[in-house]
Amino acid sequence: MNIGPDVVLHVAKLAEIGVDDRELPKLVEQFNSIVDYVAQLDDVPSTAKVEPFLAGPPATPLREDAVNPVPLARPPAALAPEFADGFFLVPRHGAMEDL
Amino acid sequence: MSATAVARETGARLAKAEADGLNATLHWSQAALDAEAARVDALPAGGALHAVPIAVKDNIVTTDAPTTCASRILEGYVSPYTATAIERLRAAGAMIACKANLDEFAMGSSTEHSAYGRVKHPLDPARVPGGSSGGSAALVAAGVVPAALGSETGGSVRQPASFCGVVGVKPSYGRVSRYGLVAFGSSLDCISVFGKTVDDATRVLRVISGPDPLDATTKADRPALEAPAPRADLKGLKVGLPKEYFPANLHPGVRAGLDRVIKALKELGAELKAVSLPYSKYAVPTYYIIAPAEAAANLARYDGVRYGVRKVGPEGDIRALYSATRGEGFGAEVRRRILVGTYVLSAGYYDAYYRKAQTVRALVAQDFKRAFGTGVDLLLTPTTPTPPFKAGEKTDDPVQMYLADIFVCPVNLAGLPALSLPVGRDGGLPIGAQLIAPDFEEARMLGVAAALERVLRPAAEVR
Amino acid sequence: MAWETVIGLEVHVQLLTRSKMFCGCSTAFGDPPNTNVCPVCLGLPGALPVPNAQAMRLAARAALALGCTVQPRSVFARKNYFYPDLPKGYQISQFDEPLAVRGSLEFESPDRGRIRCGVTRLHVEEDAGKLIHDRFPGKTAVDLNRAGTPLAEIVSEPDIRSPAEARAYLTTLKQILVYAEVSDCSMEQGSLRVDANVSVRRAGDPNLGTKCEVKNLNSFANVERALEAERERQVALLESGGRVVQSTLLFNAGTGQVKLLRSKEESHDYRYFPDPDLPPLVLGKAWIEEQRAALPELPEAKRDRLAQKYGLPAYDARVLAGDRVIADYFEAVAAAGADPKAAAHWVMGDAMTGYNETGRFAVPPARLAELIGLVAGNVLSLQAAKKVFASPGLPDPSTTSTLAVATSMGLTQVSDTGALGGWVDEVLRANPKEVERYRAGEVKLIAFFVGQVMKTSRGKADPKGVQPVLVERLNGK
Repeated sequence: MNIGPDVVLHVAKLAEIGVDDRELPKLVEQFNSIVDYVAQLDDVPSTAKVEPFLAGPPATPLREDAVNPVPLARPPAALAPEFADGFFLVPRHGAMEDL
Repeated sequence: MSATAVARETGARLAKAEADGLNATLHWSQAALDAEAARVDALPAGGALHAVPIAVKDNIVTTDAPTTCASRILEGYVSPYTATAIERLRAAGAMIACKANLDEFAMGSSTEHSAYGRVKHPLDPARVPGGSSGGSAALVAAGVVPAALGSETGGSVRQPASFCGVVGVKPSYGRVSRYGLVAFGSSLDCISVFGKTVDDATRVLRVISGPDPLDATTKADRPALEAPAPRADLKGLKVGLPKEYFPANLHPGVRAGLDRVIKALKELGAELKAVSLPYSKYAVPTYYIIAPAEAAANLARYDGVRYGVRKVGPEGDIRALYSATRGEGFGAEVRRRILVGTYVLSAGYYDAYYRKAQTVRALVAQDFKRAFGTGVDLLLTPTTPTPPFKAGEKTDDPVQMYLADIFVCPVNLAGLPALSLPVGRDGGLPIGAQLIAPDFEEARMLGVAAALERVLRPAAEVR
Repeated sequence: MAWETVIGLEVHVQLLTRSKMFCGCSTAFGDPPNTNVCPVCLGLPGALPVPNAQAMRLAARAALALGCTVQPRSVFARKNYFYPDLPKGYQISQFDEPLAVRGSLEFESPDRGRIRCGVTRLHVEEDAGKLIHDRFPGKTAVDLNRAGTPLAEIVSEPDIRSPAEARAYLTTLKQILVYAEVSDCSMEQGSLRVDANVSVRRAGDPNLGTKCEVKNLNSFANVERALEAERERQVALLESGGRVVQSTLLFNAGTGQVKLLRSKEESHDYRYFPDPDLPPLVLGKAWIEEQRAALPELPEAKRDRLAQKYGLPAYDARVLAGDRVIADYFEAVAAAGADPKAAAHWVMGDAMTGYNETGRFAVPPARLAELIGLVAGNVLSLQAAKKVFASPGLPDPSTTSTLAVATSMGLTQVSDTGALGGWVDEVLRANPKEVERYRAGEVKLIAFFVGQVMKTSRGKADPKGVQPVLVERLNGK
């Protein structure tokens, strides 16, 4: 397996993780070693028959439709990096203005 | 003793651990401890954990101290709500002593990947305490608290318990609410418990167990965790030894520790049986697909919009904000796992990695089911392939670090309960043995562990 | 050569629950920003979703109303993308195992008569928050009150062949969903949202053309306009030798034009996978049947039944059945003893004016039924009845009968010959010339006399009773 820097950068973009140019070569190397390592699952035939595994209960419980939120000990304003007049604020995104 | 007095003593021990440079705590204060004590002293005595100080891994949320997950991205973040497990501890009279250091977002096996510095092994500062719950393990091992909460995704309590010479218990998936445990790999995550003794760990686990309407993955139809009946002997018990967990190149110190357990089991009247778990060898690679995939989604919420740290990139727009906040806020190991997790889910790779890993996970789980189906009551394995390793030994080679979890990881994939019990020392360093039980059979496992503990304690405590 | 338009619609409707999809926060519209929020819908570390039972019931009812098969097992999946209105960085939705599949919607096409459009699937998901761009200079404001509100997404097959047909599909779909009390389908409040996929091909070509997705369609009229604009754009492109590039477009209602949002190459890789926080949604047969039983009679069945049971013309039955409130009101009036045809007439006429203005029927069904009875019994003229209907006395709860109101207004007709005779005598006395002309053979003057009697009686005289009395007096003297 040889995953190039372009793939790593594409994945980083999907994950919205800024990658420093200087750390890229090492990251690509580690990325390849991890992906090579997990690729040993190829040894298990895809045809292996097994009942699907579910960690939790077989069916989700459902909650009744009642207004009873878990209360906040501190309001959103106290958590947010930027907040005004009841709103979280972010820099304006060009494309977002159309939506 | 009053809770106030316990709080004073605990504070003194925390201060000493800090002065010793253990670096096991992230947040604590005498004032907070005193407030906990005042609250507990106002409660009627008789709570299952009345006035017991408990350390809490800093990925479990509390409203009166920060929850940072040892990450820069959550620096200073104080949760506006409390985890279910913490609510239950407090209702039982326990005092939250401190928030303990960990590998960032519980990703690691040595507690070296903390943004706030590595945790030192209490017996040898050059070595690691294991991870990711290394802070909790070290605090129990150093005698600061009798018990602590940690969390497991792939062995993060049993492995450090083994390294530090304490008891570490991972419950069945669905036994303890995850509400308020900061998610890493949701289908694997379990709040888990450290204790100085099996009994300490059992008492804490019983308090935090039970279904929670706020966590849809708790199992409401299962019986509560009963206190294990004391056992004078282990007659009639059948213990399976999975051959894949005893490789020829197993560390001799670990081998010797396991031999002591096998001897003790025989002396107590248990029967031993060889079993096979052929797919367990694929557990770590399977884990390193599933856990990062889930983590990539679980950690998407740290985007600098609603809480936590925000970094504004040079372009000043929202995309730059995201990539700067996440690129600078997460440490190297977390970034690597998010990238791998994103990759295995991305278009064109899903089937080859994520779907395949689900199949292998099911095969790993099926192995256990079959082994238990042959009349075996419990399985015995080493907890770790080696005694605690030196700091810096594996930090540059992620895959070598992952292999430290080779014996603990399969259990997480299968959702089973398991524990690590100190069984002796090698060159002064603790060795642990792992007991694995069928789903929701914690009581059986804890009862056997308590019986073994009586026999093995002297060896475990000799330096 | 003619072009054929091929359209498929994706409709999101907000389910009428009190609390959000995965947490106990209120779904109330219009509260101050970021007040209906909790650890779950803020996406705080450690919070976990638990599905709302009522949201599942409503979604299943919508699916059953559209003839879908509700799957005994469906799976919640995470749809991963970053956007400031999406707190967790993923939306909990359903992907390859949706709640319901394979339904259809029958509706009246303006071009092709009654047609059936396939419904590919219906799945449940959570809504995102709201972004406000014009309030803070250089900033976008985020309100998460709406984040986590339950939605059903209804995806049609590409069976729609014109923009007008798309509109008709939406009108019928809305009618059904409002009927089933699944959603209020208010486009103004954003509780119904539409995305459209559109392509064109030469008539007769069995292959589909390259499709584009049009977003930001905020009214049914704009859906039609946007699809017309996009159809024209594609046809012009193809006729000039170009080709359509798969892309996502935004409709600008101001200019009436579509604008490129992103091309296929820039399209998202959502990395769907089953949400590990949520076990599968397993719905038993009995539960599904309960939802079916909870469905009200749907518009089509109601239309047929109204026509048959009450002997109404097809048009009347369709208008009445078009809105459950109207149909219920009509049936209540009929049940209170009114002649059904007259009741239909009143409900679709005078009563509808008020309903269109206020969204409700002010006059109790029993009062309207009485009113209809009074007209039939010649106690009130139609004209007088309209006055009584419009009077504030009729809706008043203290009113005990319509007759009392009509009487107090002095509008009841008199058919008693004694009383009529008085007015007739008065009229004959006042018009001696006309009496003479009538008696001389100009019998068509009878209409004039009736009119005069009605005038003198100020509408109270029963016109049918007036004529015999007139004839008797005119001939007898």
